[in-house]
Amino acid sequence: MAKGTGPETIIAHGVRLEGDLVAEGDIVIEGEVHGTVKTKGDLRIGDQALVEANIEATNAVVSGEIRGNIVVHGKLELFPSSKMTGDVMTEVLAIGPGAQVNGNVSMGAEAPKGKKRAETVDVE
Amino acid sequence: MYCYVYDEALQDRRFERELAQIETRLTDLGIAGKIARLALFREPIDLIRDEIRGGVTTVVAVGNDMTLRRVIDAVQDRKTVVALLPVGPQGGMAELLGMPTGVAACDVLSARNVEELDVGEVNGKRFVQSVHIDGTDFSIHHGKQYVITPLRKASIEVRNFAAPDDAGMISPVDGRLSLIIRLPKFSLFKGKTDVGVIPFQEMFIACEKSITATVDGDQLQGKDFSFRVIPKALRLVTGKSRKF
Repeated sequence: MAKGTGPETIIAHGVRLEGDLVAEGDIVIEGEVHGTVKTKGDLRIGDQALVEANIEATNAVVSGEIRGNIVVHGKLELFPSSKMTGDVMTEVLAIGPGAQVNGNVSMGAEAPKGKKRAETVDVE
Repeated sequence: MYCYVYDEALQDRRFERELAQIETRLTDLGIAGKIARLALFREPIDLIRDEIRGGVTTVVAVGNDMTLRRVIDAVQDRKTVVALLPVGPQGGMAELLGMPTGVAACDVLSARNVEELDVGEVNGKRFVQSVHIDGTDFSIHHGKQYVITPLRKASIEVRNFAAPDDAGMISPVDGRLSLIIRLPKFSLFKGKTDVGVIPFQEMFIACEKSITATVDGDQLQGKDFSFRVIPKALRLVTGKSRKF
């Protein structure tokens, strides 16, 4: 994964952030975030994390729960423990067995414009 | 022109020989200067500021972290260079700055490798290393952007400059401070903690009740703490083995 230009931000397990989290560098979320998350770097969401937010990142690895839309300009990896409720726009998508995606999924070069849309995907 | 500020602890006879060696070496290197001695009831701020007004361009704290802290409190301008010449028992600053202890530091001082370091400020009080706030209910406000609330008992540290540890390397030259939140884990293995790190330039911490924060070793009482970084506020002499 590419590194962001700024320092890494880590939201630890047991911490709640409410508002707009905007960072130049990579973000790691192990706790709770409610609002929006935007980074020019990479995003990692841990398996105990809860993110109720619209998200934008260069690359993302998700093991926890997301309630909101996510836009990833590079690769989005959804690990088996991940639970996603919201629309996904990404260049490349990798979904592990057991990962849940409830929402519209747009992929490939056209994804950010929202032209190429797939049906709702549930992977069990 | 150099001014050497001696810590009051160096009046002890066991430091006589080492100080004599240091003074000889400084003379050999051509960087000897005026010596000012701190004492229990002597306020160093006026003393050091008078020297700067008199033409001193480099103020050297001879002692340890606390001596350096007292010098930094007095030197508020961005022109005067500050240095630590470590003598006696040390805290962490000498190692972080790459300054060897005793006579060996004279040569590093003479090499005059000056770095511009950021300084943190909490409620108007400057700090170089960190501020600790322990175990009370608090919320952390990053302007109108977001609010952070620990969901269980936590300790907070705001760092500008520190040795690498579980929170990673915190650089004093990146124009930011770092908020470090440590929360004990519910685990069979004691001592494990969850660690959060949030870089920032300005932040406000509001506590439920008045508490004591530790600012570079000094105590600061308060309920609300307003932090900001002052980029490149301090010119410090460093050695080649500095940790940033």
